[in-house]
Amino acid sequence: MPDRCLGAAVLFATLIGVVRISTAAAAPQAAPAAPESPALHQFTQSVQQYIKLQKAVPRLRTTKKREEIVERREALREKIREARAGAKQGDIFTPEASEEFRRVIRSTFQGPKASNVRKTIRQGEPLQGWHLTVNGDYPERLPMTTVPPTLLLGLPTLPAEVAYRIIGHDFVLEDKEARLIVDFIPGVIP
Amino acid sequence: MREMRRLSCLIVVLLSWQTLWLRAQDVTLPVKSGSVRFVAIGDMGTGDAAQYEIAKRMIEMHQKFPFTFVIMLGDNIYGGKSPADLQKKFEIPYKPLMDAGVQFYAALGNHDDTNERFYKFFNMNGQQYYSFKKGNVHFFALDSNYMDPKQLTWLEKELANAGTDWKICFFHHPLYSSGAFHGSSTELRAVLEPLFVKYGVQVVFSGHEHVYERVKPQKGIYYFTEGASGELRPGNLRKTDLTAAGFDKDRSFLGVEISGDDLYFQAISRTGATIDSGAIRRPVEVQPSAPPASVHNPLVR
Repeated sequence: MPDRCLGAAVLFATLIGVVRISTAAAAPQAAPAAPESPALHQFTQSVQQYIKLQKAVPRLRTTKKREEIVERREALREKIREARAGAKQGDIFTPEASEEFRRVIRSTFQGPKASNVRKTIRQGEPLQGWHLTVNGDYPERLPMTTVPPTLLLGLPTLPAEVAYRIIGHDFVLEDKEARLIVDFIPGVIP
Repeated sequence: MREMRRLSCLIVVLLSWQTLWLRAQDVTLPVKSGSVRFVAIGDMGTGDAAQYEIAKRMIEMHQKFPFTFVIMLGDNIYGGKSPADLQKKFEIPYKPLMDAGVQFYAALGNHDDTNERFYKFFNMNGQQYYSFKKGNVHFFALDSNYMDPKQLTWLEKELANAGTDWKICFFHHPLYSSGAFHGSSTELRAVLEPLFVKYGVQVVFSGHEHVYERVKPQKGIYYFTEGASGELRPGNLRKTDLTAAGFDKDRSFLGVEISGDDLYFQAISRTGATIDSGAIRRPVEVQPSAPPASVHNPLVR
């Protein structure tokens, strides 16, 4: 009986190993952010705190009326701007967190996939010369630069309500529903 | 003599018009009973005359080829996103189709607002990426602007659960393209293609490049780019070894029909001319990692 248990355990461990190898084979190389970093832990906490602000306005359901989508976005913007009236650049991307992000971005843009990463940004019709402000509108009429998948693999995963964006050389945290600039790291994208 | 030459020129012109007119009426798709029928359009949301003319062609096609839904390959609404913009760039041109019960399923492009996912007519159900099923076909609409680990994990799970259905993915940025303006999205390809191959995706539709292109099968997968249903970059297709067929002289859209193990396609230009057509057959049983499809009676132009 113990032999059978041992056999099952070995089989299980082998299967897990195969699954892991297969996942690793599919994933491209990335420079992961340090998961234990206190700075990134703080960043994640700050993002969660921010998301709570969105609860001030009822969540949107799908609607045939575009007006409702716009009205909800405007109401959300107003509430968030009120709640974060004194917000400034660096509140969420603290200097310590920014340093972690800088490290991952640098290594992604200098790594073996660097040319593909740069090509992804070029193909996304990058925005230039846009002056960013915390709590400012995300430029709605302008195209969205694709965030390189290799870079996303190395960064902390975000809740669905917010996203990383690239605007020119700046790295941005965007509120996707209010379409607001939550915070940004200036000049970090080569 | 001069009169004779004028007359012969006139006859040639009239015959050309007649040929074009006949071609405009010509739907080559088989319209089989119980088949899954749809149209693919991309980069259409300009609100200008060309978008409306393509919409008119789609409405004409619907008379002979009653498709039940449309997949939108991104850049659904360019520029302003006000309620008036949405009317002008979506609701008005496609109203006759919506009135006929045709549904629209959108993927987001780089010119779209992520809040479009809440717009009921886009059938995204509040999600930036989602899947749906029609007959024996599973569709996966992806957000190629933001391919984060969460989306990749979701996709892998969905593909694994799709069984032996046809698996079709659609999203904005093409993994393979001979377009001169953007070209292939190679980084996106590095993360998506292994999943497509592993789980037997047969066909992929994209936009972004403002031309029509059908790419030769890559690792057994068929890739179509239809990014000229409103926008156009004339002369932008630099036919390469990738290109099976392409068209960059005018706007276009793509009709698709799936019946059993056969997929039929017909790309139509703004003038109503057929610019590409053919069929794809897939193996009866698709196993993960098996080559998913093979060519069957291609009508390459």
